[in-house]
Amino acid sequence: MTNVLLGFLVMVLLSYVFGTGIFLPRIIGTLAEGQDPIVVLNSYLIFFFLGEFMYRYFLQTLPVIELESLLHLPIGKARIISMLLIRSFISALSVIAILLFLPSAFQIIAPEYGNSGAVFWIASIVLTSWALHWFMLWFKQRFEDGFIGLIGVFAVLILGVGSSYMGWLNLGELTKPIFDFALTSPIPMAVLAVLMIGTFILCRRFYLDNAYLEDLAEEDEIRFVGQSIGFFSRFGLAGELANLEWKLIIRHKKSRTILMLSSFFLLYGLFFYTQSEYQSEDGGISAIFIFVGVFITGIFMIQYGQQFLSWNSANFDFFLNRKDGIEALVKGKYLLFISISTICFLASIPYVYFGWNILLIHIATFLFNIGILIHVIIYLALWKPKPMDLNKGAMFNYEGVGAAQFLIIIPMMAGPYLIYLPFSLLFNDYVGLLALGISGIIGIFAFKSLSQININRIQSNRYEISSSFRQES
Amino acid sequence: MIQVNQLKKQYKEAVVLDVEQLSIPKSECFGLVGNNGAGKTTLFRIMLDLVRATSGSVTIDGQDVSKTENWKATTGAYLDEHMLLAYLTPDEYFSTLRKIYRMSDADLGVHLDKFNELFNEEIIGKKKYIRDLSKGNLKKVGIAAAMMGKPNVVFLDEPFENLDPSSQIRLKKLILEEKEKASTTFLISSHDLNHVTEICDRIVLLEKGKIINDLRDKSAMLAELDAYFTG
Repeated sequence: MTNVLLGFLVMVLLSYVFGTGIFLPRIIGTLAEGQDPIVVLNSYLIFFFLGEFMYRYFLQTLPVIELESLLHLPIGKARIISMLLIRSFISALSVIAILLFLPSAFQIIAPEYGNSGAVFWIASIVLTSWALHWFMLWFKQRFEDGFIGLIGVFAVLILGVGSSYMGWLNLGELTKPIFDFALTSPIPMAVLAVLMIGTFILCRRFYLDNAYLEDLAEEDEIRFVGQSIGFFSRFGLAGELANLEWKLIIRHKKSRTILMLSSFFLLYGLFFYTQSEYQSEDGGISAIFIFVGVFITGIFMIQYGQQFLSWNSANFDFFLNRKDGIEALVKGKYLLFISISTICFLASIPYVYFGWNILLIHIATFLFNIGILIHVIIYLALWKPKPMDLNKGAMFNYEGVGAAQFLIIIPMMAGPYLIYLPFSLLFNDYVGLLALGISGIIGIFAFKSLSQININRIQSNRYEISSSFRQES
Repeated sequence: MIQVNQLKKQYKEAVVLDVEQLSIPKSECFGLVGNNGAGKTTLFRIMLDLVRATSGSVTIDGQDVSKTENWKATTGAYLDEHMLLAYLTPDEYFSTLRKIYRMSDADLGVHLDKFNELFNEEIIGKKKYIRDLSKGNLKKVGIAAAMMGKPNVVFLDEPFENLDPSSQIRLKKLILEEKEKASTTFLISSHDLNHVTEICDRIVLLEKGKIINDLRDKSAMLAELDAYFTG
């Protein structure tokens, strides 16, 4: 069922890409009026590839998963690897570049440079994109989950956005000549073809050299992963379990991705707070900022909290089997959520640069998050929790997601406005913020009884939860 | 010590467990045998309040397991990997349990020393997560964890499975010693008739959820079980 749904989703997304491709010349025409669309296109292509690098890093799956079940068969290793690599190539990601740029090639390039020019040009782009495919397969297997991999990705991001934005060096101008050259000559196409074959060989050799279970099965080394956080130990058993949860997050791929995304979302405000259309002249607060504030200070609990218990599905019996284990588990999670939320809040203080009211918004939404929203998210997440395998990737992995996880979005979006809007409309925006903050403080004082509701809910459903986590029913 | 009364577990129409009465006195080593699907694990899970009984009750030390939690402090169990925290190293796991049971470092040291022989230097001090251990070593970690905190009762599901022969012998020795010194009650389910008859004072035979034999004569146990399983 989910497969059909996902397949459909992929088709829809691809048709959007193709649609964008068809209108690309016109889009460029309106965005950069009076400029030659081909020049504009060529100078911005590098940013498409940087973007592609990012989404490939997150979405592309490694073909090694099936290796285990194939290695013992009487098929040559080289053939298995080639087969797996080629299979990985047959994917929606491989056609995005074609869909996006092929229409432009024929609409604007062919009339000016002839059909051959259009072919050279589109081939150069597609070959670059495919070279990225092989490069990413190598890169992810080589560095994945290591610090180096992450640093690499961040470096690309900063290089891409920062360099042009801050004006250190203009990447667009640097790479533009390559694609300009491709309009009239097959040489770039040939060079890029060689590059693509080169990356394929690099990738194939790497996989071939490492086609042993011990190398490909990622056995995390202990290294930096998850030392205890001393601060938690002040909170007794709950603190101990918060520490456990922290280790769980750091040591599993899926949760680590969520943690990483949370730090990305801290930058979310940059999109909104800089837009002039959201700034109101009368000194009030744009209503959308409340949502942004909730998101920035609470992103981790919103994302991670959705599958509240599913994270522990592999070891739920451990907690059931301890005296007060469930209570400690839940309190530990609360402690962790509140701590991370506090860190996010502190990290978001620099947004004060965009105005003092931003800081006020963040204070109010932060209090609301840890006073009220946290309980609501957990309450909803406890509706029929499902088991999930934490060692699989997080992207497009819908294990542990049920209807509840979608429904959570409603109170998350509506909740803060339910309190904010009446006061903001009756009095003014700042009274609305005050109301939001006060409701949060009330929630903080009522923490014991509110959290007890959630604990009791688990206690009374413990048999169902535990049996569904053991995948019995 | 442990009382089971009119216990019944039903999934829709199918009755998977139906135990009228079972009473296990303190410091008994209680063996549970039966073919696959006989209900051994289900019985243990109900006794540990992991599965809801359709009717009937289980009490440990006079406390109904489904209504109180105090018994958990003195009951240890290892049924399967769901009871481990597989993303920790064994060292971290034991130290977590140490804090949960409020033991001192010295207490933990004393406890783990008992397992030195069984662990065979493959568990303590290794930089390896529990999830990456072999099945046998995983089991050893679980068993050592179940016996932490001076429990009065210890539940073990198939403790000999996946262990190498030396480890099986060491485990038997360990269980007998623990029973002797701390008069711990053991509930052990097993398919290994030789081992289970050797260490247990009493064997209960389960078939399709029902107790069909309750053997207490140590000298005749093995022969009777052999006769049953040969069919």
